[in-house]
Amino acid sequence: MSEDEVSTSDIYMQPNVVFNSGKNYLIKANSGHGKTSILNFIYGSSTNYEGKINYNSDTEINVISLRKTKLSYVFQDYKLFPSLSVFQNIILKNNLTHHKTQDQIDALINHLNLGHKRDSLVENLSLGQKQRVAIIRALCQPFHFILLDEPFSHLDPTNIKIVSALIQKEAKQQNAGIIMTALDEVFAFNFDTTINL
Amino acid sequence: MLKKLQKKTLVKTQLFGYMLTLLIGVFIIVSTIQLFIDVKPLINEKTDVFNAKTAVISKQVSVFKSIDKQKIYFKPNELEELKAQPFVKNISVFNNANFKIKAFSNQSESIPLFQTDLFFESIPDDYLDVKSEDWQWNQTENFVPIVIPESYLTLYNFGFAESQGLPVLSKNTISQIAFNLKVSGNSNTEVYSSKIVGFSNKINSILVPEAFLSYANTKFGRADTSRISRVLVEFNNPSDENILRYFNDNNYDISKEKLEFSKLSFFFKSGLIFITGIALVIIALSIAFILLSFNLIIQKNKDVIVNLYTIGYTYQSIAKFYQIVISVTTVIAVVFGIAISYYIRSEYIKKFNTFFDFSESNNQIVIIGCVLAIILVSIYNVYIINNIKNTVTKTR
Repeated sequence: MSEDEVSTSDIYMQPNVVFNSGKNYLIKANSGHGKTSILNFIYGSSTNYEGKINYNSDTEINVISLRKTKLSYVFQDYKLFPSLSVFQNIILKNNLTHHKTQDQIDALINHLNLGHKRDSLVENLSLGQKQRVAIIRALCQPFHFILLDEPFSHLDPTNIKIVSALIQKEAKQQNAGIIMTALDEVFAFNFDTTINL
Repeated sequence: MLKKLQKKTLVKTQLFGYMLTLLIGVFIIVSTIQLFIDVKPLINEKTDVFNAKTAVISKQVSVFKSIDKQKIYFKPNELEELKAQPFVKNISVFNNANFKIKAFSNQSESIPLFQTDLFFESIPDDYLDVKSEDWQWNQTENFVPIVIPESYLTLYNFGFAESQGLPVLSKNTISQIAFNLKVSGNSNTEVYSSKIVGFSNKINSILVPEAFLSYANTKFGRADTSRISRVLVEFNNPSDENILRYFNDNNYDISKEKLEFSKLSFFFKSGLIFITGIALVIIALSIAFILLSFNLIIQKNKDVIVNLYTIGYTYQSIAKFYQIVISVTTVIAVVFGIAISYYIRSEYIKKFNTFFDFSESNNQIVIIGCVLAIILVSIYNVYIINNIKNTVTKTR
């Protein structure tokens, strides 16, 4: 990333940026400014940067345990498995963490109006439906932060309301923070800090 | 759920193709090695009164040598050289009788009267497979046992007896016939009784116990020292192809039958090695095939595999499914290969038992098959885990 692109950034080229769990952060920028990249750096799925990311004070981190217990991520491209059904996609994650019971998962599916699609293959869903599946999957694990990469891009206002309330509730229960990226101001959560990339 | 997802990435026809090729390869290689083990005793042994690992060698008689007879004798340095060959275990020379011998039948017997001049030779007793109680002689004894070439009997039965109107004789009957030996020389004469106690295919000579010959040579023999025209060679392994090469290079004559047999065993071994080579190629191809298929699966399903890693699955747990599938397929192929090999072996053993005096060797099919399976499975497991690891970590 060249210096011009990041000159006005609140993160890139700054001496340090701290995210505290329990707080909500909005990372705001136009497309192509590295919103997804910054989430990938935090998630450990990209190491293509200079500098250091510390979790608490640990620099040496095990990405696998991080992904199972500390960081949850709603990917912009969902990273769902098209050949599996809605329920199977969610279970695939829950089998790793055993965070939710089957009833809880079914309740979540119904809550996000996906009950009639529970056993449909993900490849047959609309983008908005896929987005909701990805969000349910992300909630099937304990976390200190949940990373949301433009999570509402294909949702209508009613669904945004339902989904954001759900995420906020889950985060509160675990005293976790929310780091969300968006193109513009979002009023879904009460953000403690807005960061311009 | 992971299993269900990964199951969809497999191409069953490829797995089946791999299994079939490996099965054929394993079957051929295991059967060939077992066949070699089973046939080895048959190659290395032949039944005769002589030890299996011996042969008689002489120099080839040519036009020039029949004029200058000295050339058919072995020189001491030639014997040394022969003894030094890696395939030669030991050599021993023939003792010649240096005296006159006449054989004649007893008048009282119901056999035709005959009288003939004979010659004797002897070789160390160890090389003869005649029962030791039959093959003894000491000075107090008047009985001298004899071994004659089997071809003499054939010559008599189908040539001489036929033309002279005499009865044909079996080995057994001829062994019952007692006759006398008149040994003379050095102005001494003595008569011994004798019987034929054995027949030889390998040595064209009339043999008596060594003890008798050395005693008789001193008592009846002329003074001149005996020269060596024939050598008995004991081999480490009579089917060694170097034997033929060496004797051909030195113009030594080795008994024809031995020669043919050695040639045959050479071709047989070459054939087996060739088949083993082909089997190895088939196995190598099947390995290449499954590794290629696996690579193809990984490339085609890269997204699935990377996504699994991204949502928190370790590369080990992702690799596990493929490791199990390929290992199980390999084991199934090897087990079937072993089973078919077992069946084929039981069939050829049946045949062998009808043709040869055959004693079964150890069955190594399972051991060879297991070793092969262990090697293959280890290679695959290491390969798969490294491949998955590279796939998920290099696409960050």
